[in-house]
Amino acid sequence: MNSVMNKFKKNTTSRKEMKKDFEGKLSLRKRLMMKIFSFEFLKNVVVKIFMYVFLIGISYIILYPFITKISASFMSNSDFHDVTVKLIPKYPTLETYKFVIIENDYFEALINTTLLSVGVALLQTLVTALIGYGLAKFKFTGKSIVFGLVILSMVIPHKTLQLAMFTYFRYFDIYGIFNLLFGETVKLIDTVWPLVLLSLFGFAFKNGLYIFIFRQFYKGVPDELEEAAYVDGSGIFRTYFRIILPLTVPMMTTIFMFAFSWQWTDKYYNNLFFISGDAPHFLPGIVKVPDSLASIASSSSPIQESAVLNTCGILVILPLFIVFLFAQKALVQGIERSGIVG
Amino acid sequence: MNNTVTTKKAKPASLDRKKARAGWWFVMPFVIGLVLIYMPILVKSIWYSFNLITMPKGKFTLEFCGFENYSEALFSDPQFLQILTASIKQLLFDVPAIVIFALFMAVILNQKMIGRGVFRAIFFIPVIISTGLIESIDSSSLQSYMGSGVDTGNAQQSSAAEIVSSMDVAKLFGSMAVGTELVDYVVGIVNNIFNIVNRSGVQMLVFLAGLQSISPSIYESCTMEGASGWETFWKITFPMITPMILVNAVYTIIDSFTAESNTVMTYISNVYSTQKNGQTISSAMSWVYFLVVIAMIAIIALILSSFVFYQRRD
Repeated sequence: MNSVMNKFKKNTTSRKEMKKDFEGKLSLRKRLMMKIFSFEFLKNVVVKIFMYVFLIGISYIILYPFITKISASFMSNSDFHDVTVKLIPKYPTLETYKFVIIENDYFEALINTTLLSVGVALLQTLVTALIGYGLAKFKFTGKSIVFGLVILSMVIPHKTLQLAMFTYFRYFDIYGIFNLLFGETVKLIDTVWPLVLLSLFGFAFKNGLYIFIFRQFYKGVPDELEEAAYVDGSGIFRTYFRIILPLTVPMMTTIFMFAFSWQWTDKYYNNLFFISGDAPHFLPGIVKVPDSLASIASSSSPIQESAVLNTCGILVILPLFIVFLFAQKALVQGIERSGIVG
Repeated sequence: MNNTVTTKKAKPASLDRKKARAGWWFVMPFVIGLVLIYMPILVKSIWYSFNLITMPKGKFTLEFCGFENYSEALFSDPQFLQILTASIKQLLFDVPAIVIFALFMAVILNQKMIGRGVFRAIFFIPVIISTGLIESIDSSSLQSYMGSGVDTGNAQQSSAAEIVSSMDVAKLFGSMAVGTELVDYVVGIVNNIFNIVNRSGVQMLVFLAGLQSISPSIYESCTMEGASGWETFWKITFPMITPMILVNAVYTIIDSFTAESNTVMTYISNVYSTQKNGQTISSAMSWVYFLVVIAMIAIIALILSSFVFYQRRD
């Protein structure tokens, strides 16, 4: 009530006069009492407390598995036999990390996965952005069919296509042309080509979703931008790469992060496309009990084996987590600007 | 005379045609991929599901067998139908839980408060990190060993690590005289919270994006008219967010379809690698499952779309 009057008076009296007038009516203590014991204030405080308790509780649920994994990864053999040891190891050791890194070829897998994930994610981001732009801003016959097919590719999971995908890339042949020319089909299994090809044409994991997100994003970009560029004589592609693409960077960061992290932790395509022993090693390959720890892990308990496997898991997600920490802000911002709402 | 008229008319049309052609150029990667890669794979996959397969050393031979794989999957396999119905039931149970939870979290995280950025970052972690490989490494035994109270959604371990026993909630709701089904549902959600939180990351972001697109001036006029927060939510926020609810319901179904924890898919890939003729039978099973899920999406989308409110922008 007072504040409303305050604002009202602002027009007529000077600030000093107003302050004097205001303080003259109520003492500081009285005003404080009024504020603290008002119903609104108390309600706000209670709501805030509930909210923070709830948020911290859910955060705990999300973070708890990581905490157990991290603490178990530092436990030594004797800690697992000690019933009093729960979350904090008594004899912390780095042995598990050492054995996993050395014996499971961690660094080789890390380099391979980094190269593959960055490459594939970049391809997917660019290609799906292009397709999304085409679907958002142009009117052409067959557009709705193309969009329907995008949705179809989003809905059919690649697991349904498991066998067909394997045989397609095992006996790779474009409508019998290779067979005609060279007399045999090409074997793309155990190379990165299946993933590269899928990414290049926007058919890799969840690319339908990315296309959809980009389409919604570009629908929110005002047409006047392009029209102005066209009037100034800029071509359609030049306009896209010079004017629209820079606008897309936050959205692209988000999509890149999705594609990158989903490729990084991918297991399905790795098991499908890299089957023989001499195929390049990727991070899923390091998730196994190293030989030096095998005897200990199996003899003592399944818990220790699980701890070793989870240590491998930590090593897999550690680089990803570091990237996430840096990219986190851009990631959430990009999603907020996405305008998925349409 | 006639000539000039046609050229005059043709000029704006040519720009449109140019733009239309450019549209094709932009979607060209998708079209090429569709013709060269996706369609062959799709057709092959359907074709395999009608065949028997034998794999003697590297080469494989196919033999057409009609609907044998399908009848094998649906009638001879003792477990497939059971797992399928159980999974569909679970999905029907999960979808509302995930959507409501995601909406609730998005509304909370959309408010101005201290540490909002930190909470958003934490809630985003599962989307980035708890996928595929990490999800497949079982850590439930580790967690129950650490004396945890958090359920990882793993069926074998869950009884050991329930947050609330159904007794507690049953007592609470018993005095409220609500049906036992509702009690079971709530208990299920609370004990499954880990799973639900982990799977609602993307949905939460979609809701956040939706909430931020609602014009603040609507809220302003609401408070001026004296509407309470509760009223504002149900009269303004909820109707405006209904399109997102539809999107999220469909996304949740598709997502759980491909999730690592999906029991049907686990069973199918088990069949793929172990059974005789497993490769083609698993193809048939996948298609059956896919059709069931598509039917479910269609029904849910149909029901929800009659409640969806679209704001006319222009």
